[in-house]
Amino acid sequence: MTNDSQEKPTAMVFEVLKAAIIDGSAARLGRMALAGRRSVDTPNYLAVASRGVVPHMTPDNVGKYLHSGGVYMALEEVIERPQQYSKRQTPIYDTPTSHGRRPLHSFTAMPSDLMTVLSARRLPAVPSPMGNSNASISIFTSTGYQVLTTKEYQNAVETLRPDIAIPLADLTYGPITPTSKRALRMAERTDEWLKNWFADEDASADGPQQRDVAVFAPVLPVSYSIQWEYLERLSEELSTRIAGLAVYNPDVLLDLLSDYANLATLPRLSVSAVTTPHHILRQISLGFDAFVLPFINLVSDAGIAMTFTFPPSQTTPTLLPLGVDLSSPACKTSLAPLSPNCTCYACTAHHAAYVHHLLGAREMLGWTLLQTHNHTVVAAFFASVRAALAQGEEAFEGAAHQFALRYEPEFPAGTGERPRARGYQFKGEAGGEVKPKLNKPAWGKLDGEGGGLGLTRVRAKKGVAPAVAVAAAAVVVAGELVESDAEGGARLETPPVSDGVADVDAQELNSLPR
Amino acid sequence: MSASSVALTFELVAKCSTTRARASTMTLPHGPVNLPLFMPVATQASLKGLTPEQLENTGCRLCLNNTYHLGLKPGQEVLDAVGGAHKFQGWNHNILTDSGGFQMVSLLKLATVTEEGVRFLSPHDGTPMLLTPEHSISLQNSIGSDIIMQLDDVLVTTSPDKERMREAMLRSVRWLDRCIAAHKNPDRQNLFCIIQGGLDLEMRRECCAEMVARDTPGIAIGGLSGGEAKDDFCRVVGACTQLLPELKPRYVMGIGYPEDLMVCVALGADMFDCVWPTRTARFGNAITKLGVLNLKREMYAADFGPIEDGCGCPCCRPVEEEGSMGITRAFVHHNAAKETVAAHLLTLHNVWYQLNLMREAREAIIEDRFPAFIRTFFAQIYPDRQSYPSWAVDALRTVGVDLIET
Repeated sequence: MTNDSQEKPTAMVFEVLKAAIIDGSAARLGRMALAGRRSVDTPNYLAVASRGVVPHMTPDNVGKYLHSGGVYMALEEVIERPQQYSKRQTPIYDTPTSHGRRPLHSFTAMPSDLMTVLSARRLPAVPSPMGNSNASISIFTSTGYQVLTTKEYQNAVETLRPDIAIPLADLTYGPITPTSKRALRMAERTDEWLKNWFADEDASADGPQQRDVAVFAPVLPVSYSIQWEYLERLSEELSTRIAGLAVYNPDVLLDLLSDYANLATLPRLSVSAVTTPHHILRQISLGFDAFVLPFINLVSDAGIAMTFTFPPSQTTPTLLPLGVDLSSPACKTSLAPLSPNCTCYACTAHHAAYVHHLLGAREMLGWTLLQTHNHTVVAAFFASVRAALAQGEEAFEGAAHQFALRYEPEFPAGTGERPRARGYQFKGEAGGEVKPKLNKPAWGKLDGEGGGLGLTRVRAKKGVAPAVAVAAAAVVVAGELVESDAEGGARLETPPVSDGVADVDAQELNSLPR
Repeated sequence: MSASSVALTFELVAKCSTTRARASTMTLPHGPVNLPLFMPVATQASLKGLTPEQLENTGCRLCLNNTYHLGLKPGQEVLDAVGGAHKFQGWNHNILTDSGGFQMVSLLKLATVTEEGVRFLSPHDGTPMLLTPEHSISLQNSIGSDIIMQLDDVLVTTSPDKERMREAMLRSVRWLDRCIAAHKNPDRQNLFCIIQGGLDLEMRRECCAEMVARDTPGIAIGGLSGGEAKDDFCRVVGACTQLLPELKPRYVMGIGYPEDLMVCVALGADMFDCVWPTRTARFGNAITKLGVLNLKREMYAADFGPIEDGCGCPCCRPVEEEGSMGITRAFVHHNAAKETVAAHLLTLHNVWYQLNLMREAREAIIEDRFPAFIRTFFAQIYPDRQSYPSWAVDALRTVGVDLIET
């Protein structure tokens, strides 16, 4: 290693503007800055893309109306190999680098002020029946399961040049908690892979160039005691090489920070797929700076308009809902915005009655408007959180406490039909039972035997499912912490409100329809 | 030259010196629109995934809603409570609605037509329902569209039953009278008549005379685009436009293929609508000046060019230009039939293409180079003159343009 390669990565600059000084809160204000991108004040969130697009939003609308810190993408969504063209070079790797744009940005037509975060797998990911090997993981593409070697993933990052990359971690994704033997192997492999990642980077002629990709090291969803050797390597050998931490289970963070103070200056990205703003507030308190939030897309698909604000409005004595179901008949003629005082495009140019109609007619614009609105609500939530933190930790913790008291623990269940489940990622998981269809078939025969005469539209009955059931399942990235370590045992990831989704049996969650 | 009725002003800007093509400006309650014009179809008060803002940015100032669909959902009560379709869908430009009669025929095979109206089974619960001219107009009054269409008795043009065809034509005339009588807002909604008569030119001429005598602000040619031969179709359009008053807009219903549009413009028609451009977008097809491309084909998987070279739509215009998204064929291919965004992008492109084609045709008419414009148009789509469709060649010969001999 040369001195040059030992330097702090320059791809991203993170500064902590204000850190908590009171007990019981590690919340902090910060700013992530990447060359050529809008700088991101933290705490903040990343939208989750599907196949390179924010669902239902065209890139022009993303540019205008998405106020997130950036977009999270999964490599498994862009590298499928159709059987009949199995020999072809994966098209995305041929993306030309024109106008100084990075290939991943260029291919996905992502507006240039938004940062991209690339990971190997979706969030939540479909568990693979094949499992991982010593030098590869199994991924689920639109054309089936595929093997992704550590080398190919690293090459993909080098070629596509996302702003931030999360190196491969050996994760199981299933509902079953890995045995301690498996957990140990997860830690060993991830350790090995990350070590090799940087060794290869140093060996590669393009090494210095690749350093314009910030690396966020994965922190595994297994107990601290099992992965301490890996974490120690992060702290002692690699702390200058990594630009941040991607944490799959938030409860590992406390131990990690208490033992490895030199990692404290790194930004902490939560990839634990939280399902409500309550979970977000708790993790902000734990010291997280950024969040990957798949639940926003799911809430929009369920026909729910988010209505929460931070701090909560002080007026009502009853519990406030986190969102309203726009499929409800109450919205039929309502000319009100989707949530009071919202200034998003959907709320200023349109009204609840229109979105109600679009959902009922299954017009795609309904979900586009809901996405615009819901992403605006979440962005405003984070902006208010930052404003409270700027006032002081007491202001933030007080408001967060109010929020927990005032709002219902979960989003309401959407009663409307969902958009057509658009892809492979919603298909049954390996070994699992077939999921029941959420929407009734749109067309059927009139009176059974129609003889082709009576194609008639079947009145759709509501498919009722919790808006975020799938995301909830994703909390179980690799089983909860089953802790033997004395210190970590008391700090399991539990929601700040009782009877939340995390209490539901993981197996049951997995069988819920989307 | 211009003519006005209460809620519509028609100004003839220019006429092609060779063909019967015209360039004009029609001013409606929600602003002026330039003719000839293609109108995209927002069936259920939404243009298939585009926000009204995106639609507005394509330059669209007049789009369609379907009375039949809006009558079912959200329903007349909601439209009355909200204050009409403009307010309902956040669209501050013009709207045209059809009468609902076409959907009766196309969607419901069990519909029967009587003098009273169209009888059909409710798609909701199967109960018998009746759509009368009065009910259709009442619905369209609630919708508040700038142009409303009469209820007509639509038959398949290829129907061999001459008696029934004549009955339908005469009934459409009688229904127009009932529509006019039932129309509550002639001061802010323009009722257009619809010429019927199948493929029988004599019957069409008779219908034209009857309809023109009723002096509606605009005139539609209906009953076409139902599977008839293209030659027959062109003959009917050509026969009707010759009989229609010069200072009224002429609307050929259900036309949207680019070749059809160009031929109809040459035959003297002004307005067109069709769901094809937006529907085919959802199947992964892009309309371009070089023909229709199916971007789902493997050959586009690693094609990093724009959907159409030289197109000015927000998907295609060069990345360095303001407002460009930098969409590649590879990206559309990647998401076609997998993410709705691919459909939205192609819808945006196709609507832009159709509107732009009509804008360019209008310019060519004004500068009196429309015949050359049509020649270039066909030359770009087809590899050679031998492959030009004969119906188009023949139809254009009737208005003095020979595509084969230059």
